[in-house]
Amino acid sequence: MHPWRLLSIPLLVGLFVALPVYWAYPDDLSFWRAAGIVLGWVGSGLLLASLLLMLREVRLASWLGGIERMTCWHHWTGLAGYLLLLMHPLALAAAAWTESPPLAWQLLSPVAQNWPVWVAWAALIFLMGGLITTFASRLRYPLWRWLHGLLGIGVLVGFVHVLLLGIDAGTVFAILAALLMLVWRLIRVDAGAAAKPYVVRSVRRVAETMVEITLAPLVRGMPAEAGQFVLVAFFRGPRYRGCGEYHPFTISAIDRDQQFRIGVKALGDCTRRMQALEPGVEARVQGPFGDFLLERPAKPQLWVAGGIGITPFLACLRNARVEHATRLLYLYRSEADAAFRDELETLAATHTGFSLEARATGDAIPDLAAILPGADELTGHECYLCGPPGLLDAVGHVLQSRGVPAAQIHCERFDFR
Amino acid sequence: MTRKLFIYSTLVFWIMVAGFGMTQVFWAPDDAGVVQARETIITPAELAGHATPEDCWMAIRGVVHDVSAYLPEHPSRPDIVLPWCGKESTEAYETKMKGRPHTPYADELLAKYRIGMLGKAP
Repeated sequence: MHPWRLLSIPLLVGLFVALPVYWAYPDDLSFWRAAGIVLGWVGSGLLLASLLLMLREVRLASWLGGIERMTCWHHWTGLAGYLLLLMHPLALAAAAWTESPPLAWQLLSPVAQNWPVWVAWAALIFLMGGLITTFASRLRYPLWRWLHGLLGIGVLVGFVHVLLLGIDAGTVFAILAALLMLVWRLIRVDAGAAAKPYVVRSVRRVAETMVEITLAPLVRGMPAEAGQFVLVAFFRGPRYRGCGEYHPFTISAIDRDQQFRIGVKALGDCTRRMQALEPGVEARVQGPFGDFLLERPAKPQLWVAGGIGITPFLACLRNARVEHATRLLYLYRSEADAAFRDELETLAATHTGFSLEARATGDAIPDLAAILPGADELTGHECYLCGPPGLLDAVGHVLQSRGVPAAQIHCERFDFR
Repeated sequence: MTRKLFIYSTLVFWIMVAGFGMTQVFWAPDDAGVVQARETIITPAELAGHATPEDCWMAIRGVVHDVSAYLPEHPSRPDIVLPWCGKESTEAYETKMKGRPHTPYADELLAKYRIGMLGKAP
């Protein structure tokens, strides 16, 4: 990744934090009171940065190093902002404690007749509620998504707290910025205003719980490349009723007339329903995103795919011949899950320099130490991994223990919650 | 890891809030650190002579306070508070935030700056 892209998010987050702190930095106050004020503004800046990082614009994602990286920073800035905002009232209470211990509770007490304090408590409760649901991974996605929105409300209510304290100049700007980003996300991403209309052209079953869907643009298509991914929502067809949620899918092939294919595995309620997709169903597509496999260095390569993670590698092989010695290790649970294996075996037989090792592993993570190449075979290799997060972590750990530098291990995770 | 960080930090937060709450219940009143009022009588003319941000007295509920040292810490904008320097400010103090008075916290804080009683004009 280009150094500027690596630095883009840290610089942006630094700016979101530094600006309000510089603007509101307190002079001549006691340590705890000054710390309380600074913690409040740093936390608010981090939450604003977190809102920016939830946007899904193609150009923005490209500048900031991809959606996966944005999502990771979205999580960390959000959590760090929350932690600092928890410390903000405690530091102010500590400042009051140095005056007189009972004053500390007077400052915190939600039963005191004081709008700024009431609103501050409301903001904290929204943030806590939003984070509790964020970490509740068993919640169904549609409910999870709306409850996650409590965090956005918490940010807005938090700025209203600042406004009620009489600090209005910069706060109005912050509220407008937060509102803009929340509305942008709702309209462009969740409501699909940034999406382009497509239609399902064909559906092919490639494994017991996986179909490959061909999508054709209804207007001008998007300039996607093999291995990139798109966010797709399916709606109505002759007999099909889609759930209308945007889910990420890797492009598994780019066909003529700007048509492309995606692989859909039944992993949740919505993707299970997609197994019954039929030609003629309306779809909307956002993207393309990602640069996994796009800028590969001129080195021998190891590709490791777990289940549905085979799609970016398949797209790459369908699109062009491999230019450097490439070994693909394809892991799937059972023979019924071995999507595209026949096609991959044909490609391995016809592509010089490309070799395939396909294995059924069962439900548990297999003995990777036995399956993965030894340290001497990995020397000078670039490693590309795509599949379930648990498998990728385990493979990455073994590869690093065998001397592959972290910079030479590239992952595609699709963990955007 | 992030889940654990969230759970533990939130728990610690509530424990500390509860700790501050317990203080209110169990702390024995101790006024030793509070500046005791010198019950001098201050006339309105004398009060009016202290009407600058650096030298700001306010009369609230018949008691005169020298709030010069506190003004930089007051959360509201200066243009909301400063016009009341040198004046009888009870109404402004009691009608903060659309008719709501200041908090008991503010009352206790205010007591620290008490310097005398407001007398009548000669």
